[in-house]
Amino acid sequence: MIKKFIHQFASPKTYLFQVDRAYPYIFYASLFVYIGSLFWGLFLTSEDFVQGNSYRIIYLHVPASFISQSLYLAMAFASAIFLIWKVKLSAYLVKSIAPIGAVTTFIALVSGSIWGIPTWGTWWAWDARIISTLILFIMYLGLISLHDSFTDYEKADKFLAILVIVGSVNIPIIKMSVEWWSTLHQTASITVTEKPAIDASMLYPLFGSIIGFSGIVFCLVILSSKLQILLREKNKSWVKDYV
Amino acid sequence: MKLINFEFLKLRKKSRGWLGPILVFILIMTAFPLTVEILNKNLEQAFFSILWIATLLVMMLATEDIFLEDYNDGSLEQMAIKYDSLSGLVATKIFVYWVLIGIPISLIGALYGFGITRSSESALQILPILLITTYIFLNVFSFGNALSLTKGSILGTLITMPLVLPLLVVLGKVVIAINLGISFLGFLFLLLGILSIIILILPMIISFVIKAHLE
Repeated sequence: MIKKFIHQFASPKTYLFQVDRAYPYIFYASLFVYIGSLFWGLFLTSEDFVQGNSYRIIYLHVPASFISQSLYLAMAFASAIFLIWKVKLSAYLVKSIAPIGAVTTFIALVSGSIWGIPTWGTWWAWDARIISTLILFIMYLGLISLHDSFTDYEKADKFLAILVIVGSVNIPIIKMSVEWWSTLHQTASITVTEKPAIDASMLYPLFGSIIGFSGIVFCLVILSSKLQILLREKNKSWVKDYV
Repeated sequence: MKLINFEFLKLRKKSRGWLGPILVFILIMTAFPLTVEILNKNLEQAFFSILWIATLLVMMLATEDIFLEDYNDGSLEQMAIKYDSLSGLVATKIFVYWVLIGIPISLIGALYGFGITRSSESALQILPILLITTYIFLNVFSFGNALSLTKGSILGTLITMPLVLPLLVVLGKVVIAINLGISFLGFLFLLLGILSIIILILPMIISFVIKAHLE
């Protein structure tokens, strides 16, 4: 049953039709959640004792940095599936996630800089977390340019998948950079294993914003993968019917 | 053994391939004191970071055509058919590059270390670190150049440079340990561990990439 579902879902055609049906629900639900938690976080919670109102950029910065790393892991996962089982769809997914990952990493960097001006007194510091995030951004751009430089899509997909998997050695380093080095950037306030280090009134909107932002980014991935599928499968007859 | 001899001969005959990178390394290391005020004490502090970056750049330049010429004249394809394991061939190639480029550069780097920091102790300490680091760099950059085989070395650099950055962090810690006089054996073993993983895995990945190119 599950196996059959996975096999069907792995075909670009079924994926496209299923995703088309689910897309509006996911998009409006996550938009609602994100705007709701932004409203909650920006207007209903109290000021931070130390940072004043400037901490409120957390509702953009934390989701963006969380997503930027998660997207890379998702790419690595999809690349492994592509290399092992030769599922074409996951190659399309890897290609379509890369630019979105670059954009979210850029959002994380810029929002971090803006947050740095009132709290650290500087918009940039040569700090382990900031450098490793910048490296992640450059890695995404490198992946995009690797794929663009080959006109043979099959080759490009294969190389991209290999590079994504080899490059995933950097992800734990980015994740742990705030704990392995003494840095200006604080350590993570929310972890799975420990009690969160921020107050509940700020925590719930933060969770909401992470979920909402993830949903919106997920919708972007869906759109981008739709484009990728239509581009690659443009010679198939069902694409002509679909368009 | 025959393969090693053959690859060795091929690289030795091509003097720009092995002498070029060494000379570029010497040029970089000689040029850097010019940019700092001479006899300045800062020279010592900047020395190690320049050393690692110069090693990185030179290894990048050295591996630029490690597979390209063989690929262009078709001998890579022939060798892939002739030998059972392409990864063995790749590992041999990298080893020969290390012997002809990596070892001389490590020795010269240690010599520069002696010349600039004026302590034979720290020069001896960076020698093993340099030997291991050059081997790791050669492996990683060969991977990048295998990926971007016909597309130029800028692309290869762009995609593999992020992969060696964790290593640069470790090297930075080594320098701190050397400067403070703490035992750096832990870092040495860490680097050896990284090296042993890399020389087992990367040649296989590189041969996979080359096979995809040859298809």
